[in-house]
Amino acid sequence: MGREVAGSCLDGVVMEMVSAYCGRFYAAKPELAAGRIEAIGFQVGHQLSERYTMDRPRFTDHLEAIKFICKDFWSELFKKQIDNLKTNHRGTFVLQDNCFPWLTHVSLDPSMESTDATESDPALLGDTAAQTTSMLLYFPCGIIRGALTNLGIPCAVSADMSNLPACSFVVRIKT
Amino acid sequence: MIVCVAVVGHQNNPLYLQSFTEADDALKLHHVVHCSLDVIDERVNNPKRNAPTLNETFLGLLYPTENYKVYGYLTNTKVKFLMVTTDLDVKDADARNFFRKFHAAYVDAVSNPFHVPGKKIASRSFGARVSTIVKSFGSGTTV
Repeated sequence: MGREVAGSCLDGVVMEMVSAYCGRFYAAKPELAAGRIEAIGFQVGHQLSERYTMDRPRFTDHLEAIKFICKDFWSELFKKQIDNLKTNHRGTFVLQDNCFPWLTHVSLDPSMESTDATESDPALLGDTAAQTTSMLLYFPCGIIRGALTNLGIPCAVSADMSNLPACSFVVRIKT
Repeated sequence: MIVCVAVVGHQNNPLYLQSFTEADDALKLHHVVHCSLDVIDERVNNPKRNAPTLNETFLGLLYPTENYKVYGYLTNTKVKFLMVTTDLDVKDADARNFFRKFHAAYVDAVSNPFHVPGKKIASRSFGARVSTIVKSFGSGTTV
């Protein structure tokens, strides 16, 4: 798949924003940084959902709105759709993306895990790497939450990454 | 001629309200706008079954009074657009066209990163754009 220059720039901006918030502004308080990044995503999602729902009829129920996020909204953002949508029909939706574009350039260094003979604790190192990566996911979480909130569906969104670059977003609708 | 336009947020909070008359009847127009909000609520909460326009954004004629006709538009994000006109025979297509442009102007205004969601739209360029759209209404020209 060809990539536009602007797409690569955006990837860079997102990564740099996350690292700026985690490493500089809120270096001591990672949970504050997460909240801040999520809030930026919220505003972005809020504004984008207004634009992308312009020419479509109103949604009748939650599922339709979530489907809109999975298909049209995701294709506008990432030129691809969500790969798998699961729901328990009681307000929880799992949106799974098998190749999330913002994670395609992230790799957890395998040498870190293999050189466990060194003095540092390998579990600790792997843990921080995973933590850094999970920071990248607060922004898209915020986007989803912002878009859904603007569509009249208050919800909580969390992300879960199992094996890169696949990840899943869990949407819990507040009743 | 369009005498008044309004943008109303999802909690029925006014986001933008502008009248286009010389006479001092702004209050009356605002009253008409507020009355129409009830009609929108009624339409949305008790939709007629099998109506072709069930979930369309354009709500059509809401509230005909002796002097005015009020047309409404409801977006996916529960933002309401209202237009009060003195024209007696308004073509549906014209009204739709007007709201489409109005909505586009609104979307551009709220996409401003300095705009606070839920607050009144203070942008002057939005006001100017809406005036242009209002002036071109019914004249067959496109903005």
